[in-house]
Amino acid sequence: MSSQAAKRTGRWKSRIASELVAILGTEAVISAEDELIVYESDGLTGYRVKPVFVVLPSSAEEVSRVVKLCSREKIPFVPRGAGTGLSGGALPSREGIVIALSRMNRILDVDIPNRVVVVEPGVVNISVTEAVSAEGFYYAPDPSSQIVCTIGGNVAENSGGVHCLKYGVTTNHVLGVEMVLPNGDMVTLGGMTPESLGYDLLALVVGSEGLLGIVTKVFLRIIKKPQVVKTLLASFERIEDAGASVSAIISSGVIPAGMEIMDNLSINAVESTVGAGYPRDAGAILLVELDGPGVEVDVQVPAVIGILRENGAIEIKLAADESERQLFWKGRKSAFAAMGKISPGYYVQDGVIPRSSLARVLGEIGELGKRYGLRVANVFHAGDGNLHPLVLYDPEVEGESEKAEELSGEILRVCVDAGGSITGEHGVGFDKKRFLPLMFSEQEIDTMNFVRCAFDEEGLCNPGKVFPTPRTCVEPGMRKHDSQPPPIKEMGELF
Amino acid sequence: MSYVAEFSKMVSSFYVPGSGDADRSIPEFGFTPEIILYPETVEEVSRILRFASQRSIRVFPFAGGTKLFLGNPVRTVGVALSLKRLCRVLFHEPSDMVSTVQCGMEVREFQKVVGCENQIFPVDPPRLTSGATVGGLVSSNLCGPLSTRYGTCRELILGVKAVRADGEIINMGGKVVKNVAGYDMPKLMVGSLGTLCVLVEATFRLYPRQPFSRTVILSFDDHVSCSTAARAILAADIVPTCFEILDEKLSSELGVVGGAKRNILLRFDSFEDAVVEQIKQVGEITSGESAAFVEMDDEHSQKLWDSVREFPFSPKASFSSKLTLPITGSIKVLSDIESNPALSGVAVRCLSRPARGVVLVSVSGESDGAVGAARFLEDLAGSLGGRIMFSGIRHELRERIKAWGDFGDALLLMKNIKQRFDPGDVLPGEKILNVG
Repeated sequence: MSSQAAKRTGRWKSRIASELVAILGTEAVISAEDELIVYESDGLTGYRVKPVFVVLPSSAEEVSRVVKLCSREKIPFVPRGAGTGLSGGALPSREGIVIALSRMNRILDVDIPNRVVVVEPGVVNISVTEAVSAEGFYYAPDPSSQIVCTIGGNVAENSGGVHCLKYGVTTNHVLGVEMVLPNGDMVTLGGMTPESLGYDLLALVVGSEGLLGIVTKVFLRIIKKPQVVKTLLASFERIEDAGASVSAIISSGVIPAGMEIMDNLSINAVESTVGAGYPRDAGAILLVELDGPGVEVDVQVPAVIGILRENGAIEIKLAADESERQLFWKGRKSAFAAMGKISPGYYVQDGVIPRSSLARVLGEIGELGKRYGLRVANVFHAGDGNLHPLVLYDPEVEGESEKAEELSGEILRVCVDAGGSITGEHGVGFDKKRFLPLMFSEQEIDTMNFVRCAFDEEGLCNPGKVFPTPRTCVEPGMRKHDSQPPPIKEMGELF
Repeated sequence: MSYVAEFSKMVSSFYVPGSGDADRSIPEFGFTPEIILYPETVEEVSRILRFASQRSIRVFPFAGGTKLFLGNPVRTVGVALSLKRLCRVLFHEPSDMVSTVQCGMEVREFQKVVGCENQIFPVDPPRLTSGATVGGLVSSNLCGPLSTRYGTCRELILGVKAVRADGEIINMGGKVVKNVAGYDMPKLMVGSLGTLCVLVEATFRLYPRQPFSRTVILSFDDHVSCSTAARAILAADIVPTCFEILDEKLSSELGVVGGAKRNILLRFDSFEDAVVEQIKQVGEITSGESAAFVEMDDEHSQKLWDSVREFPFSPKASFSSKLTLPITGSIKVLSDIESNPALSGVAVRCLSRPARGVVLVSVSGESDGAVGAARFLEDLAGSLGGRIMFSGIRHELRERIKAWGDFGDALLLMKNIKQRFDPGDVLPGEKILNVG
């Protein structure tokens, strides 16, 4: 690829621009410097790369034609949804094209009897639920950004949310995709059926971070809204007791729809911002949401209250009505943004640990914070051990942002040492690829590359992401590492 | 030195077929391997595969040997690799509800181990009580009635340790319930019939055992009432653990209720009050469909569920098939099958699992009739937007009925995957890929 890029003449951009315009029309091809700025990064703004072009296709056929052009010209391309990702997964490739799917935002079919909604990738997550809500259904994966993030991005990242403890993540709710492969060919994997046969290629595509192709249509499973939803807010002196409650609740036979813990720092940030009614003096709060048939929830609520008391809850509040329930959740969903109230800068981390190691890991994170002289707020999906430590720092203080980033990396090491993962829902992307070897050996990463090569032999589709070092598609079992400069902020990847 | 002799030095236990050890029971592979190896460690599995790969010797992994009826017949294979001696639970953290188990362990034994902590591994594949192993479960992705609530092992698997065809030992996925680091490789292994890697360990999420269970049988005199009731159950605010529709012949064979045209079987697991209330709701929402209603406690219903779980894999059948359909198709299709003259010359038994869009069909009859039935079912699945898999195909029909229906444009990608994982076809890829 790099040799191909080196051979390009100064006129290649204008030639490619003409071809792109011929495929998409002038309005759908962006090349002006000031307009490209928007696309320089995703939600992780620390890394920025200006693409050569951004294109806005309106159909799968247009995507296919653009990708075929890229394949022919060996131009790297990066698919992009709403750009809300937090791992740099949609960071452009230098000298590359960004294929933004925002115009492919139609809901193509709502099939209630079969419990399927078919959408284009640019449809916003919450729109799916809105489309079926009147019929008593909803789309379960609910990442915090669900009012802006798109289904295409959710598929790429295998997004979760606060309710995935009971209902699973995106991979459990995608029945099929139509996609454009990196050579421009179209393929359909799965479809309207809840089960599929043969190799589970769909499972590979969901969570592939845009490395295997561009999804142009998604078959989503919708589920019935629960008959009853009850939300409990419990406060504790010690965060460890909140964690112990989580394990005790699940062990009792109750699988709540969601369980979220916030520590004192997060509570106060939220209270200063949205006033969710959280007790400011609590060491931690635990939100427990129970849903299902009314009679089942009626049995579960007192059982859970009993467990919370046994584990040292100081105060337990059952949301009196839907507006109070929404307020409880508003606080949780505002937690990241609320950090701006108590710190000029913050770094969101995403790691996973076994629930049983919660107390130990939180202790270690606290120690790390002290060692680095930085505050760390903890907000997490407690039911599935998905931590979101927020490292607070002041970007105006020289060296502090670097310290925050380093501390975030150390937190991931603690998660992996505890038997966990470097990411539960934000993805590896560009930001965390250097941490992938904490979890996987060279041979294991090579094996992942088998998958990539089966889909994308040229390595043009979202290159420079996930894999810590570039890998070519040489003979299976063999590996060839090209030398690559270390990632540099503001430069991204040289392809 | 022959390769048989080389292999025999790699493990402490092996068997050369025909060597006269009458105590050895060999599964019906459909081929005769030169040697059967019984490694006791992952490293031994690795050495075997590394050597086999270097010498281009084909290896057939198996454990319980209870699902050899799945997939296309296998061509000549040098080594049958038994994982039966890799049969320990390696990790079980009750508070995390996660456990790692070696693939040669029997599923039932694994369930007993986690059951000691009041937890369940909620998968009930056929052959559960006759030696089905964890490795076979993952490789086949077979499941049973519990899949209505818990899904298949695709939904339960968190990680695997596997040995690649070239002998490399790899870990994929992890031991936590949420993890998006890298591709979801464990799910790729689910249903791959051992054609990509040899699975040696798997990590699963577990569920808490529910305190109370009840089964309900609803019997109908006509299929229209049954279909109406099935749709009402799907739409109701109830959460059945199992939900199956049985046709008349299968109902009769399993001794469900004599004379009924259709039977719906439901099981609920929860707190007692919640189960009782949900069963009451079932009675109310199906009262207009003239359904006979029988309630059974857990103890009495167990035999029935055991029988349902084993369907449709009967040695008496010409073949069995699994149709994966949209939900509405999986309800409607029973009538399509029952009323079609293309199936008049064969004995057909059907079961629908509507929440999963799955229909299981068993066909028995003379050859031409069975082949005609297979064609009909394949066309029917296609016309309803689904796919089909045939299994347990009687020997004389194997040239005429292939195990897999059309994979569509996914086939090329599947072949690419196989080529990347195992370019020498050491692990018999024809189990899945020898289509058409």
